[in-house]
Amino acid sequence: PADTPDTAQARPRSAPAPVTDVAKLCVCDLLVAQCDVNCCCDPDCSADDFSLFTTCSVPVVTGDSQLCSQKAAVYSLDVEANPPERIFKLIDQVNPSIFCIHATNYKQALYLKSSEIPTPENFDRLLDKFGGVGFSAEPESWNLDTDAQNPPDANETYRYEYGVPVQTEDAFLRLPSPVVSSWCSDANPAGFLVNQATKCIRSVSVEKCDSIQALSMLFYINSSILASVFQVNITVQSVVVQSQNGMRTLLNSSDVLRLPMVLDELCINAVLGVNYHITHTDTGEITEAAAAFVLGAISKEALSIEQSFEINFTQENTQPVPLSGNPGYVVGLPVRAGFRPQGYPFPAGFLSNKHSQLTILQSTSTQDCLAAQGARAPVLFGYNMISGCKLRITAAVKCQPLAQTLLDVLKGQSFPEYVASFGNSQAQDVLDWVPITQLHISEQMISNTLQSSCQIPVSLGIEVKWTKYGSLVNPQARIVNVTATITTTTLKQLPSGRERIIPVTSSVVFTDISSPAEPGYKAWPTINIKLPFDFFYPFV
Amino acid sequence: NNSSQLSSLPLQILLYVNGVYYIFYFLATLAMIIYKSQVFSYPDDFLAPDLAVLFLMAILEVPRLYLGFKGNLTEAEAPLGLSLGLTVGSVVLCVYLLLWQTYVLWADVLLNAVLLSAYGLESGLKVMAIAAFVS
Repeated sequence: PADTPDTAQARPRSAPAPVTDVAKLCVCDLLVAQCDVNCCCDPDCSADDFSLFTTCSVPVVTGDSQLCSQKAAVYSLDVEANPPERIFKLIDQVNPSIFCIHATNYKQALYLKSSEIPTPENFDRLLDKFGGVGFSAEPESWNLDTDAQNPPDANETYRYEYGVPVQTEDAFLRLPSPVVSSWCSDANPAGFLVNQATKCIRSVSVEKCDSIQALSMLFYINSSILASVFQVNITVQSVVVQSQNGMRTLLNSSDVLRLPMVLDELCINAVLGVNYHITHTDTGEITEAAAAFVLGAISKEALSIEQSFEINFTQENTQPVPLSGNPGYVVGLPVRAGFRPQGYPFPAGFLSNKHSQLTILQSTSTQDCLAAQGARAPVLFGYNMISGCKLRITAAVKCQPLAQTLLDVLKGQSFPEYVASFGNSQAQDVLDWVPITQLHISEQMISNTLQSSCQIPVSLGIEVKWTKYGSLVNPQARIVNVTATITTTTLKQLPSGRERIIPVTSSVVFTDISSPAEPGYKAWPTINIKLPFDFFYPFV
Repeated sequence: NNSSQLSSLPLQILLYVNGVYYIFYFLATLAMIIYKSQVFSYPDDFLAPDLAVLFLMAILEVPRLYLGFKGNLTEAEAPLGLSLGLTVGSVVLCVYLLLWQTYVLWADVLLNAVLLSAYGLESGLKVMAIAAFVS
């Protein structure tokens, strides 16, 4: 009788029945229809194969050893016989303990639980239970759909901690990001104090562009963030329009909400990027939220666009400075430096780090000092660097301007005066900044040189002394001392027509001057001995 | 004066020993159920009936022994008959713990076998005592 396809599908598939006969179980039988080496229980092996084995990798196959009496299959090789042969014995193994299992009426007791086979009926339930990142008995707390969320109490102060999702009225502040593949998933919440930047691809179509929510500005500033006593609305900080060829223009009026619409077979005002800036207090309450948009146009042929999202958290009343470590310096991050105008040091440029960084001359391919003016590399913590260039001098070169030019080449336009001691030193903390000591060394100390002879700087050596600070298991790098040494040499007058090439070098060296760790107790342990309250009862 | 005394001395001794042994049996079986629940996989719907049977047996044992003592000492056949009826219930529960428990350990087999033989001997002596009282 022919098996109709319907009945074949309707019959539920089940896992194959477990093998429980010890004589038929073979753990080392891995190759199908081939003899496994040293596997004495393999049914595919013939007597000739057994004679070639050295040992039996599986000597005994038993069931659960807690049973009082059970069958055991014992395999061994008789090496005395010629040729060696395999011995198979089925014996009864007895467990002498008084707590051995005599009988059990619970079938699954001694076997592993077999898992449910997915069927069309239970597939959704199994997917909910096992389809997430982790298995949990309760539904995930970040479930954004119709489960009733407890409406938050409006009078409650919302203090956020690091990593906690930023809550809004209906759910969480979303930062669309790619999950598994590059397609945007809107279910990624933004964590407090977690600065993130993500890029993902969204599928679009020009005809439906005004109905796709994720392309409209409203989608991103719609909900207000729950913070402290009141709710913080997300304001529009700036709107930049990107044209088809990539040129971006900043719009003057940023309070007009631009919604996507179809114009001339293009979809304009589609959101290509959002940059959230959240301001918070030092106790974890959010005070302000602003979003900067990049809008663009989607052409008819485009099936997908790339959107980029970023979120930054800034503490109020501070300038946002990119940290080079928290608190100790992280190897590879730039050394923070600054100036001290009128009273307290502050880094003269915050978001653009061109003006107050400790920089070093960057070697160029031409190796010409005068042409290399302007190319500088930031000094990264922990990386010793050396760079240089060659200076060609002729007889006609004047000394003083040359010395000044070389000093500019070596030190850069604005050589800082202070270096941050820790990676997260704030500008207000004066004691956290280390002054740069400047030394001048003259190469030639010959007394017969005239005082007025010209000294030109030929090398700058920055030595940064740092120490390990804090606990032994998590030491933080702390800069203790920075010394910039300029070495000068005399410039001898050249006969006219001759040229000379002087090498100019600059280097940065990081020296670890940590002292060995000292053990210490936070507080000496004390012994509290007190007499009981009523020790002298009858007398007092 | 032995001829005028109908109470059965062996039955009395056996009832007394049974009482002492039952206390030991109850504590040992409870401890073993706790041990089994820790060492083996013992889901709640299998643990509940086993514990229920054990506690039911303990509840039955008290009146059973009391009626046995009273009936034997007062030479009355009614309490002794009632005790015999309760013994039947206890035997059934004991057989459950011997055969149909979720995990039957070797120690379980020993304890229950001893208890069953005590019940059997007791029942025989009770029947003889009832026959002696009635006639």
